[in-house]
Amino acid sequence: MSAVHEDEKSLEHEINELERRLKDAKSRLNHNGRIVGPGAPAKDAALHALLLLSDSALPLGSFAFSSGLESYLAHHKASPPSASQLSSFHTFLRLSLSTLASTALPYVLAGYRRPHDIELLDNDFDASTPCTVARRASVAQGRALLTVWERSFKRQYRNRAAHAKESPEADTASSNSANDTLSSFAAALRTSSHVSGHLAPVWGLVTNVLSVPLTEAAYLFLFSHGRTVVSAAVRASVLGPYQAQAVLASPELQQRIRNLVEEGWNKSVEDAGQSVPVMDLWVGRHEKLYSRIFNS
Amino acid sequence: MSSNTSPFAPSTAKPGHGSIVVALLPPNTPVLRTVSYQYPLKLVAPDALPPPERDDASTAPSLIHTVFLLTYGGGIVAGDSIHLAIHLETKARLILLTQGSTKIFKTPDPALVSQQHMHATLTADSALVYLPDPVQPFAQTAFSQSQSYTLENGEGSLCVCDWVTSGRSARGENWDIHEYKSRNEVWTAPSDTDGPSKKRLLLRDNLILDSHGQTNMPLSDRMDNYSVFGTLILRGPVFASLSAFFIDEFEALPRIGARNWGDGVQLEHTPQEQRRHARQQREEADGLIWSAANVRGFVLVKFASRGVEGSRNWLRDMIREEGSVLRGFGERALLCLK
Repeated sequence: MSAVHEDEKSLEHEINELERRLKDAKSRLNHNGRIVGPGAPAKDAALHALLLLSDSALPLGSFAFSSGLESYLAHHKASPPSASQLSSFHTFLRLSLSTLASTALPYVLAGYRRPHDIELLDNDFDASTPCTVARRASVAQGRALLTVWERSFKRQYRNRAAHAKESPEADTASSNSANDTLSSFAAALRTSSHVSGHLAPVWGLVTNVLSVPLTEAAYLFLFSHGRTVVSAAVRASVLGPYQAQAVLASPELQQRIRNLVEEGWNKSVEDAGQSVPVMDLWVGRHEKLYSRIFNS
Repeated sequence: MSSNTSPFAPSTAKPGHGSIVVALLPPNTPVLRTVSYQYPLKLVAPDALPPPERDDASTAPSLIHTVFLLTYGGGIVAGDSIHLAIHLETKARLILLTQGSTKIFKTPDPALVSQQHMHATLTADSALVYLPDPVQPFAQTAFSQSQSYTLENGEGSLCVCDWVTSGRSARGENWDIHEYKSRNEVWTAPSDTDGPSKKRLLLRDNLILDSHGQTNMPLSDRMDNYSVFGTLILRGPVFASLSAFFIDEFEALPRIGARNWGDGVQLEHTPQEQRRHARQQREEADGLIWSAANVRGFVLVKFASRGVEGSRNWLRDMIREEGSVLRGFGERALLCLK
């Protein structure tokens, strides 16, 4: 019994030793500069796509909406009115990211993993969006992303799709067929009244076709939302532009987004739901504001 | 065998399961064909009443059935699991009520989640009014409920409310729960039963209160000082005028942040405007906020208030003022909002 144990231990030890030597040898080889070079082309393509999607102009149309921030601030009037609303803003940003992760993130993940279910996901997301303000924002951005794909990215990516792919996260569908799904969904959007084109599932599908790894796609989805809210706060005079960059750069935001992605990784779309119920009221009552600088 | 000594017929129903079927005796008399239940669920059906208003030419049903959903001990104990199935045949009308708030009792283990599930199927011309008392989860509870409505061919009328409170506020409880989930779904399905795949989701309203979300805030902070949250779902021809009323009143809400410049003073107010004004004053005093939206053939109303009575009174006043539910279903429909 104990002899077996000893054997295992020495074997493990040997493996560790060999691994250490392998690593050592590899690093020496790299230091010699012989095979130091850029990463694999597939990885480069994914990085490039990620950079394209992280353009602050995307999601197109997000500029016009405040994701409820403006309404939230109106419901939490500072007294005196000149007082800073900075701490209110930080609370809102946390709540807003939490809501997005609980309601929309599962649809991003599902749109990526199950491209062929895009119409079903789009319908179910539409059914789960309780107010017209949130619906308009989500649909405007989703449709804009589809249009960017159709008009700008599609031609560039169609031919590359074949070699730029095999992400282990996607299901068996090759990227070509996800590509076709995207095209037929974009076509359905123009003809069927049942199709809305919500951002979350479309984001999942587009990042799949662009071969962005799923973790990055999900991270960027939440980060883009954070950036949209921060940008709205600058325009609502709650934050200065440098403060805004500091919020975006903060390790706290990074950690929060990473944890949200991890927390939602295995959440099914059936279990997506509102974690901050008052958010629906803030967003829904945006159209009741006397003065607005954002669309509702 | 002791079970054979029971004077009652053996029941095949499982614990916590119940079933309600309202059928139609032609031409227009609905009957409660089935009311069955098993511990810890209990259903009580008082005598059906005729609707207060029914013109002679009307093909509307001549009787309105009412069923109280009760649980032994007046609440749901950790580990309880309740499943209720409801079927409304064409022209059937049903009022579902509770008797006091649904109390959720403390669980010894957060992983032990009590459950309550209801599934109702509605056919064309049938209508369900479900305006219960709120769910009241006490501190350290874990509860998950779902209300699923399947409309045959998207027809049938719904007026259903789902609301939850922060616990026993008199004891200082303020959303001190482990977990609370409530899901409301409305599906449409074709009348031929051979196509379950043809089911399509029309509406999903899913509330999830748990420790997730990375907010670093206690749940009470996430709720922004509100101790009641609710959703009212309206759909179908029977509640068309109530739906329109909610939308109109939402449109008529004063603008948030508007200043009174004094030039909008009207010399005479209609009675309707006076009632509206009085109600808006009460909303303000009760810290009640609400919204209404036209969504996919529904009117979806969301509300929140500082205290339970604020929401209860508001909901009752709105439905009472519009009047069609009282005329079509009688006072009983609002019993839980008194």
